[in-house]
Amino acid sequence: MSGAFKLIQCSGSKMLIRPNVFRAFSSSTATSTEKPEIKKSVFISQSHDIFTNLALEDWIYKNFDFTNHHVLMLWANDPCVVIGRHQNPFTETNVSKLVESGITLARRNSGGGAVYHDRGNLNLTFFTPRDRYNRKYNLNIITRALFREWNIKADLNERDDIVINGKKISGTAAKLGQNAYHHCTLLVNANKLHLGESLAKEEIKYVSKATASVRSPIKNLCDVNKTVNVPQLLSAVGYEFLRTSATELVDGGHSQTMRQQGFQLINPTEKWFPGITEIRDLYSSWDWRLGKTPRFEIEKDIEIKADDKDLKMLLKVEVDKGLMTNIELVMPTGEKAPIVTALQNQPYDEANLNGIVNALKLVPTENVKAAINGL
Amino acid sequence: MVLASRILLRSNLLKVSQNLLKNNVSSVESLKYFSVSSINQADRLYTKKHEWVQVEGEIGTIGISNHAQEALGEIVYAQLPDVGTKFQQSDECGALESVKAASEVYTPVSGTVTEKNTAVEETPGLINTECYEKGWLFRLKLSDSGELKKLMNENQYQEFLKTDEH
Repeated sequence: MSGAFKLIQCSGSKMLIRPNVFRAFSSSTATSTEKPEIKKSVFISQSHDIFTNLALEDWIYKNFDFTNHHVLMLWANDPCVVIGRHQNPFTETNVSKLVESGITLARRNSGGGAVYHDRGNLNLTFFTPRDRYNRKYNLNIITRALFREWNIKADLNERDDIVINGKKISGTAAKLGQNAYHHCTLLVNANKLHLGESLAKEEIKYVSKATASVRSPIKNLCDVNKTVNVPQLLSAVGYEFLRTSATELVDGGHSQTMRQQGFQLINPTEKWFPGITEIRDLYSSWDWRLGKTPRFEIEKDIEIKADDKDLKMLLKVEVDKGLMTNIELVMPTGEKAPIVTALQNQPYDEANLNGIVNALKLVPTENVKAAINGL
Repeated sequence: MVLASRILLRSNLLKVSQNLLKNNVSSVESLKYFSVSSINQADRLYTKKHEWVQVEGEIGTIGISNHAQEALGEIVYAQLPDVGTKFQQSDECGALESVKAASEVYTPVSGTVTEKNTAVEETPGLINTECYEKGWLFRLKLSDSGELKKLMNENQYQEFLKTDEH
């Protein structure tokens, strides 16, 4: 793992944005009696693929030793919805509609709620040893950068969200294991229409233990100050990170920046990160994205016309590991009619569910059982 | 608790010595067996990562310590290992999600999962309110009871917390 890091340093020296930062670091020495000063690096991922970036984040988290080296990874993705590790994608978004509109659905390994990403959104991952995990420190790096660069005043609310005039510009989540990371989004000029549409669910009652998102009004930084853009923000946050002491929120200015390892452009390929392809395959798999959904049930009222009356029935579907394990119809009498269909044990999604609902609506009562059994 | 276990130990030793008189052959073995199991039964043993295990017979019950639940804050989701899963000591075997972060859970001992606490899956807050009782996470059949020697007892763990940075 240290070998892999050296590889990045070597390869990175060709591509360094600020080569003198790197040179300045190598000439500095720490005396043997005191603890070595914690060095800092800013990694900029060259990929815009959500699965590749999640794999890169996971690779760094699992393979690096952050004891004397803190890392900030900066990344942006093509349009996607990213849900938390223990979330139900169907209560956070409309999975079938996402597929139609070409927005990728991804599940990350950290907790927290669902977020929408596109290239107008900057993602930041702060890596530290577990005992150095400090969310407030990280969020303050961001607010300080915004103030230094654009004079924008942003605050942290009680949920550790970054807000401007009460509206969220950033969502935060974290993963704690042997190492730790805290990552967050930063809305610069994301497509708010797509964001809103992507995070709307189908009108179905879901009974689920999965972590629910806390919905909050959001704001793009470009609506606060027109000149804010992703490349400049990336540079501003990166410099703020490098010029701040690793252990406390103290600005060390230029001299502090010069002691760090600087910016490095990262190409998340198998050559630099052996095994990353396998991790990417996991993140992009159905088994991870949908199969990891905590067990849930849906309930949907269905009205069926019989003679002159409307009969109210309840359709119940149990979904385990993403598959419809049990489908049944509860009659007005309370009697339960299990439905045997070809959809049994097939992946649940809104389109499949609506297929069942529509088939049920079209049939007269006496034929309900026969009809549903013939689905 | 330590005191209680000593008393228990003595009264049982008495029985063992009674047995000794009755049957000279099997008694040595039963004495040996007893001394191991009694220590395990009495003590909750801890890891440096703040998980605990309490062993009865060959089954260990696993949970997280009070210190760990306090550090995590309000737990909103518990992802527990499925029955039948085999783990090596220190393997990642689940995750607890709090309002602050998703934290990995590591098993203090090797073995095969025999039971998971569905009450905790249903009400993750039990881990916050009763981390040593109703808030246990899962049980497993130990594959190497020798591993228990590497863990800390209550006193050692309390000392460890004093030195631990977090």
